[in-house]
Amino acid sequence: MGTGEAHNKELVIDEEQTTVKRNGPMKEAWRRLRKSVTAMIGLGILAVFVFLAIFADVIADYETVVISMDGTRMLQRPSLEHLMGTDHLGRDIFARIVHGARVSLTIGLFVTGFAVLIGGFFGASTAYWGGLYDMIIMRICDILLSIPGVLLGLAIIAVLGPSLINLLIALVIANIPIYTRFIRSTVLTIVEQDFIEAARACGTSDLRIIYKHIITNVTGPIIVQATLSIAATILSAAGFSFLGMGIAPPHPEWGAMLADARGYLRTDPHFMIFPGIAIILTALSFNLVGDGLRDALDPRLKT
Amino acid sequence: MTRYVINRIFLLIPIALGVTFIVFTIMNLTPSDPGRIMLGEMADREAVSQLNRELGFYDPFFVRYFNYVAGAVRLDFGVSFRSGRPVFEEIFLRFPNTLNLAFLAVICAAAVGIPLGILSAVKQYSHIDTVSRIISMLFAAAPVFFLGMMGIYIFSLRLQWLPAFGASTWEHFILPVITLSIPSAASLLRLTRSTMLETINQDYIRTARAKGASERRVIFRHALKNALLPIITILGMNFGFLLGGAILIENVFSIPGLGQLLVNSIRLMDIPQVMASTLFLALLFTLIILVVDLMYSFIDPRIKAKYSKIK
Amino acid sequence: MPRELMSIENLSVIYKTDLETVRAVNGVSITLEKGKTLGIVGETGAGKTTLALSLMRLLPKATGRITEGRVILQDQDLYKLSEIEMKSIRGNLVSMIFQDPMTSLNPIMKVGDQIAESLILHNDEKLTKEQISARVEETLTLVGIPPFRKNDYPHQFSGGMKQRVVIAIALACKPQLLIADEPTTALDVTIQAQVLSMMADLKEALDTAMIMITHDIGIVAQICDYVAVMYAGEIIEYGTIQDIFDHSREHHPYTVGLFGSIPDLKHKTRRLSPIDGLMPDPTMLPRGCAFSPRCPKCEPLCKDQKPPDRDNNGHRIRCYFVGGAQ
Repeated sequence: MGTGEAHNKELVIDEEQTTVKRNGPMKEAWRRLRKSVTAMIGLGILAVFVFLAIFADVIADYETVVISMDGTRMLQRPSLEHLMGTDHLGRDIFARIVHGARVSLTIGLFVTGFAVLIGGFFGASTAYWGGLYDMIIMRICDILLSIPGVLLGLAIIAVLGPSLINLLIALVIANIPIYTRFIRSTVLTIVEQDFIEAARACGTSDLRIIYKHIITNVTGPIIVQATLSIAATILSAAGFSFLGMGIAPPHPEWGAMLADARGYLRTDPHFMIFPGIAIILTALSFNLVGDGLRDALDPRLKT
Repeated sequence: MTRYVINRIFLLIPIALGVTFIVFTIMNLTPSDPGRIMLGEMADREAVSQLNRELGFYDPFFVRYFNYVAGAVRLDFGVSFRSGRPVFEEIFLRFPNTLNLAFLAVICAAAVGIPLGILSAVKQYSHIDTVSRIISMLFAAAPVFFLGMMGIYIFSLRLQWLPAFGASTWEHFILPVITLSIPSAASLLRLTRSTMLETINQDYIRTARAKGASERRVIFRHALKNALLPIITILGMNFGFLLGGAILIENVFSIPGLGQLLVNSIRLMDIPQVMASTLFLALLFTLIILVVDLMYSFIDPRIKAKYSKIK
Repeated sequence: MPRELMSIENLSVIYKTDLETVRAVNGVSITLEKGKTLGIVGETGAGKTTLALSLMRLLPKATGRITEGRVILQDQDLYKLSEIEMKSIRGNLVSMIFQDPMTSLNPIMKVGDQIAESLILHNDEKLTKEQISARVEETLTLVGIPPFRKNDYPHQFSGGMKQRVVIAIALACKPQLLIADEPTTALDVTIQAQVLSMMADLKEALDTAMIMITHDIGIVAQICDYVAVMYAGEIIEYGTIQDIFDHSREHHPYTVGLFGSIPDLKHKTRRLSPIDGLMPDPTMLPRGCAFSPRCPKCEPLCKDQKPPDRDNNGHRIRCYFVGGAQ
């Protein structure tokens, strides 16, 4: 792994130079992120969805618009009154998509947040303690990872029954081994690097090393990974709901909306297109931002 | 080398046991009542608990786990609560559909994703690169079931080129396979591109150029062969991902496959069937990863050497 | 008239990215005679490797760009050749040895095949497979590797042996010019000496000219005929080995500093005298002499205008205060 080491050394030098020359790594990363057109598009789309999610109740009332059926206006085409038309139960699709944004973003952030916290705890502690504890946790991870995530999630939901909370639990559990492994290996590669040795040799205290070197160096990769996995989580949550294993009707969820639309493909394609686009745009925006962050945080890709 | 292969196959046993244990544990947290499911809502309560006793449902957890593993070793995975027939009967009946779907989708994804990824890397920053990156970005963010529905809408309902539901002829597989492979192809393209770019920047590629090798030779003889190693691994992982996707796609296209069986069994709380299906898919996935690892070690002389020395 | 092999005329190279433009090589002119060795010395980042890569036309495609100048090799202008013509020169007429032998070899190709590749690519003599295989063994023997090891992979060799393989690849086609970019930096000191003396012997045996890029003045003293001192992309002093190593002559202040930072065993000094400061940022080079910010003899004129070359019988120094007037 000669190349890896060589790269890492460069990486350290580069970082020091940027901190000396410019306004610190975070500002530098932001400056580079702003240069990336794709990342900015991603951030733009994301901002729209976050806005919709926050002001969902202002845009459309939950009780009266989002979940109340109206037999007089079923399956209407998009119009000024109903921007995206209505569904098979006469509910405004736009209103349901706006409230669906709230559900999807919450799932994405909640699942990833908890998975990072729990996986971070196991990952960091196994990297720190090593030994038997490390071995046992890692073997458990191996086993969990040898079950495809969807299967693990389905098995958990099969037991707990389909609901939002159970979906969250299933997704968090399916993501924990991924983060445990990821954070463990990230911490290990940093701990083994020469500059940690150098800091130790300079008499830097353990706490300062953990804070100043390990945490600052681990944050970047974790943020990138987390951003990308929010997209994956939103996609799989939609998949579970599509199978009827996620959020129970009548609550608005994009995957569940698509499942409803299946029966009306021939006559009412608008019913499926809007929720589908909503899922794609949300997942896409997180992917774009994640990719942009990865490039911005990686000093090797500067040239 | 043979020793390594045998070792790796033996290593499957603890993983299989672990997977069984986890799936068994999850499944047995369920407050289910197999006797009730088998005999129906109208059955006498006494008969139900009698049947439950016969099934060993009241035994302690570890006894039940032990019995299950003991049965599994004899290839006895129990009977479906619903049909009363051995669970693997149903699995083997449906497995070919799922395998076809996932296998063909992997091939499609590789056939499209890898060459485009190479092209994108070689022509970095060109129009081809930009276009294929944007398209792959979009498709990597698309849920398979939505792609499937779009496929049905456009090619079956509007154009009437292809059948939409079922699995009776090979034409029925065209749409499911293509829609299932699209997100995989997209992610494979992105991965191939970044791996190729990384490889192209290696020193030995510069050495090859300094020898006077043509760009073609540099790309195919030197870069691609090295880049292929991580790509093969990801291809194996993708197979697992596709098995998951197949569950959704089978649902969209009403294909009688394992995924559909699994989802239906979950709805009916048919525990033995869910357990056996999950176990079967998980072990299949593990086996594929093993095969990929072995292939890897045959291609890469460094890994090959490492394990020959252990001998 | 010496037999001129190659001349570099006023060569300038930049690396251009979205964010900045790095002026890596600035107006370099040197000539090299057949069979002679030119040493290029300078600090890390002085533009030595860039110079070498631009001679091979192997600059990173996305960023590197030759802005002016030309390179004449055996009466051919390298920058006017097509890529196909250039390919037939690379590895054949001009070969290059890279700095890090650990990463310079393809990890999944047998070393014999990697050496044979050069021969197959430049098979002007229409050699048969057997003849090529014989040549590979011959070349391996030449660099001191037992021929039977041609079926081994790079990971089975030590660092020094890998560098021998890299050298064997470069020498397989008996090139006229060998560019060695810090060929021994990554090696242990004892191995360094072995590899260097082997290179010197081979150069003699094959009558190959060589450009030796290094930051190690000891290596220069050992095997070079001519020396060019590079600073911030410029050749600031050039001369024969005698010119440069003669302490009684006048030198560029940077060269003086460079020699001052290595210990001299013959004279008793209290301490080494390193050069103060750092190389200028290649994205913002000073207007005048590039060395002026660090120069002990700096005058206002130096900061304002680039000094011309002072030529004293081929010993060129780019400084106002050396080698003549003022």
